[in-house]
Amino acid sequence: MISRAFASSGYGVFGVREYHSNIKGRHSYIHLRIKEKQPRSLRYPVDYLVALDADTIFEHLEDVSQGTKVIYDLSFERSDLASARMIMRDTAERIRKTLEEGGYERNVKGALKLMEDRGARLIGVPFDDLVNSAVKEGPASRYFNTLGAAITLGIAGLKVEHTIEGVKAVFANKEQVVKLNVAVVQAAYEFCMNKGLAGKELPELKVGKRFLLTGNDGSAIGKVLGGLRFQTYYPITPASDESTILEEHEALKWIQKETEKLKEAGVVVVQTEDEISAVTMASGAALTGVRSATATSGPGFSLMAEGIGFAGMDEVPLVVTLYQRGGPSTGLPTRNGQSDLLFALNTGHGEFPRIVFSSGDVEECIYDAMKALNYAQRYQMPVIHMIDKNLANTMDLIPEIDRKRVKIVPPVRVEKEPFKRYDLDTDTGISGFGIFGRDIFWMTGDEHDELGHVTEDPVIRDAMMRKRFQKLVTADREIPLEDKAQLMGPSSADVTFVTWGSQKGPILDVIEDLKNDGVTANLLYLKMFSPFPSEFVSSVLKKAKLVINVESNMLAQAARVIRMNTGIEIKKHILKYNGRHMTEDEIYRAAKEIIFGKEEKVEEVLVNGA
Amino acid sequence: MVHNFKNDITVDWCPGCGDFGILTSVIQALTELDMDPKSVVSVSGIGCSGKTPHYLNIAGVHTLHGRAIPYATGVKLANPDLKVLVMGGDGDLLGIGAGHFVAEGRRNTGLTVILFDNAVYGLTKGQAAPTMEMGEKTKSLTRANIFGKINPLTLALSAGYSFVARGFSFDMKQLKEIIKTAINHEGSALIDVLQPCPTYNNINTMEWYRKRVYKLEDDKSWDPVIASPDDPEAQAKFERAYRKSLEWGDRIPTGIFYDNRTIPPFTKRLNEFVPNYLEVPPAKQRILDAEGYTPVDPDLTFADKIIAH
Repeated sequence: MISRAFASSGYGVFGVREYHSNIKGRHSYIHLRIKEKQPRSLRYPVDYLVALDADTIFEHLEDVSQGTKVIYDLSFERSDLASARMIMRDTAERIRKTLEEGGYERNVKGALKLMEDRGARLIGVPFDDLVNSAVKEGPASRYFNTLGAAITLGIAGLKVEHTIEGVKAVFANKEQVVKLNVAVVQAAYEFCMNKGLAGKELPELKVGKRFLLTGNDGSAIGKVLGGLRFQTYYPITPASDESTILEEHEALKWIQKETEKLKEAGVVVVQTEDEISAVTMASGAALTGVRSATATSGPGFSLMAEGIGFAGMDEVPLVVTLYQRGGPSTGLPTRNGQSDLLFALNTGHGEFPRIVFSSGDVEECIYDAMKALNYAQRYQMPVIHMIDKNLANTMDLIPEIDRKRVKIVPPVRVEKEPFKRYDLDTDTGISGFGIFGRDIFWMTGDEHDELGHVTEDPVIRDAMMRKRFQKLVTADREIPLEDKAQLMGPSSADVTFVTWGSQKGPILDVIEDLKNDGVTANLLYLKMFSPFPSEFVSSVLKKAKLVINVESNMLAQAARVIRMNTGIEIKKHILKYNGRHMTEDEIYRAAKEIIFGKEEKVEEVLVNGA
Repeated sequence: MVHNFKNDITVDWCPGCGDFGILTSVIQALTELDMDPKSVVSVSGIGCSGKTPHYLNIAGVHTLHGRAIPYATGVKLANPDLKVLVMGGDGDLLGIGAGHFVAEGRRNTGLTVILFDNAVYGLTKGQAAPTMEMGEKTKSLTRANIFGKINPLTLALSAGYSFVARGFSFDMKQLKEIIKTAINHEGSALIDVLQPCPTYNNINTMEWYRKRVYKLEDDKSWDPVIASPDDPEAQAKFERAYRKSLEWGDRIPTGIFYDNRTIPPFTKRLNEFVPNYLEVPPAKQRILDAEGYTPVDPDLTFADKIIAH
């Protein structure tokens, strides 16, 4: 609601959703940043802490500081840490120690006192009374979300009509619900006014229409625009949202000049019995010439390994969108991680070519998803598109979606009799694509001859291995460098950051922050890991002075890939593997430790986040 | 010219293998149905049965162990105009691929599943497969089979397959007819084919089966077809099929056990949600305009994500 309201007033909104692997009860929150220009990172401490339950106060003790406005329901003051059973036991124990060591009571009152002593401004609100004064229907708690949001927006000084826009967006088309919630908004604004809390009215900003999207949305939209017509999935966090979004938008709308020519049509989304079925069903669909894909996360991706190998061996255009979460095993099912890079590069037994690349912001998700489908068709191989959980659950505002930014690349077609699916007469390694229903040809996961029949002939084996890998050479030649890696910022700088995925935004902000310390910095931003832009990365790193690699994993996997491909070892790392999103402030602090520190090898491990 | 559905490839099954009878029956069925060779594809898993697509002169894919059903489902859903044959052994479809076998019953996509049922894993030297009787000791086993057996027919019936039949690979006349009916069946069909493995299964041999099999259709009152949702016999026909499929031992029934034409296949169910799915399925859609760009309008298709200002 807060995001929608600010967006409707023209502000830039950027946020991340954090939640437990639990349906109801455990602490979940949205960490937001709102600026006049579109933000690209988050930061602690926060300016506002809006607590809709008592647990929030305990969980975010460390996230407040001088000037933070803490908005909460006065009734929480009766809550005790000991009765906060939904806080993970270890977390509660840590909170207990913090309160005890500071000499505070082990309850919300104590926690609030601690916050106040750290400079926070406490704003207790009688939630029940306020709601009851505005609506009579249903339990008051039903409106706490709206109330908390509206009080915050009132204090921030957002015009009430934008807050009402936010309500309408959240409760789309449910007239009665909107009416009741608007009454709560009005009561909240009145409360702010009466208590002298209302902020100075914020000016409206002039912006055009924008899309409010998550990384999941971005990938789904990109797939549709890239020609996807078949998607399979097995439910898993944080990947299945993408498939749900596709299903919600399964009825496609054509651009005006096509509506007369094309019949209304749609995307087929199938929920399968497991991820093995998801990957193989998507591959089966691809054999009919349909652009198809699946989306999954770590555990599901592990199950897909054999199917991905088949796509590699049989040259099936298959896109797997890999949403990374904290591993190993079930790991941190709802938390962030970037620990699947080496696995994505090595999934499946034997040697086969694949394209592995990643996105770093919501807009990239859109166009990368389009490109992924193109790569799969053009090079007839599995394409693994990596999106980390942090990006999947990032809310971002995108000014426009340009359907013409990426052209649809049709597969190679060779008219030759007899049709040889694996014709060796090719310089690029790419043979004419075969389509079930149009061509007669064979395929097998065994090594095969040009027709697709099983062979164990040693000479054909060598030729087929070389042909398959030749496609990767072709891909490397054809895919523009900017889609593989970019040097962002000045070409020469005191510090060169290296990263991939969702740390791109915060690092770009840190580069700005470092200017105040007299440090110039740039960013070597990696997108593609197979084929890897070895020459470019090598040339950048050889010129760089101080290189700091930033990743959300423990083993600094991208740095290992760099070393494997270029021989260059990066010695300074900022890593985070507690599953929470990286924030601008912690990267900045860690970078300064490294820049101004003396040690040869440094590893800074970040710990922010509840 | 009549298409030759037999491929010019050396068949490397053992002499006397029951698979030959299945291959011949499939070829005969396709020939007699006078099928357009481009309108039918075959999909197999791993094992001796997995080689079948190579021996057929139609498009075919020899996939992963146990995964023929999901690959085939992908093909069928992307292009529902294609007839899709699935070839798999009992180890392939009921062992490693059992989850998919069951899930396919729920979907009823419209696949013709031909189960090469010989109770052993032939290609890996005769280990016990899911349809082998408990206590049975074939010559390739070091000790008697300690697992119970799966009944493919009752499993298919409970999973939701709308066509369930059994054939015997040495009765090609009957098998061919079953395959023809199954191909024309709209939903998913399971044909359990009793198929001796002469190399590893010295118990369930051709002679062993010959002595026991009898045909359901020889009983003129046997009617497995449910053609209308109002058929008052529908429930009774299912129960009869289920009871019949439990019969095993001295007498083994073959033929069509159950043929329910009233359960909508997955493709028709999809058509309820995806606009014009049956008319313009994924494989029949144009995904680029004359200039090479997508014809999809992002603003209209994803209008709910737009924040107006």
